[in-house]
Amino acid sequence: MNTKRLALLVLLGSIVVVPVAKAQVQHIEMRVEGMT
Amino acid sequence: MKQHLGRQSGVQTVDVSLLDGKVQVTPKGDGEIDPVQLLKATYDSGVTAAEMDMTARGKMVKDAAGSLALEVAPNRVFTFAPNEASKGLESLAGTPTMVTLRGQLYKKPEGKKKSKDFPAVLTLLILEIEKKE
Repeated sequence: MNTKRLALLVLLGSIVVVPVAKAQVQHIEMRVEGMT
Repeated sequence: MKQHLGRQSGVQTVDVSLLDGKVQVTPKGDGEIDPVQLLKATYDSGVTAAEMDMTARGKMVKDAAGSLALEVAPNRVFTFAPNEASKGLESLAGTPTMVTLRGQLYKKPEGKKKSKDFPAVLTLLILEIEKKE
């Protein structure tokens, strides 16, 4: 039982939380004509 | 124009440079931004959009017609205009790989004066692949 708990602790401790790269439109650029 | 574009769905900020005629649009993170609506809103502001470029991150998918497309939200995909760069991404279709790229969504037809007839669907011509992750 202790071995299982220890293994679980090691497993949880080894998980590195990486921020999930979100799919999205990041930027839009327009070139316009006729602007004063 | 800045205020008009700023009122469009999914738009967070708009920066206008009078000097070089550039308009920078930063979207909100809600995925609601619609480039066609931006083109129409620009026209309604009394100016003509000559070119529109977009930087986006998403997954490679096949659209209903079987063409390669970038999925930036569950209900929003941009089909690629075929070029060398898009051919290189074919193998990523259906995989979880996220690709960040810059591409051209719209270019005013040569010699055409002011027109409000924008294409209903914009295709994305890849200019640069920034990241694959």
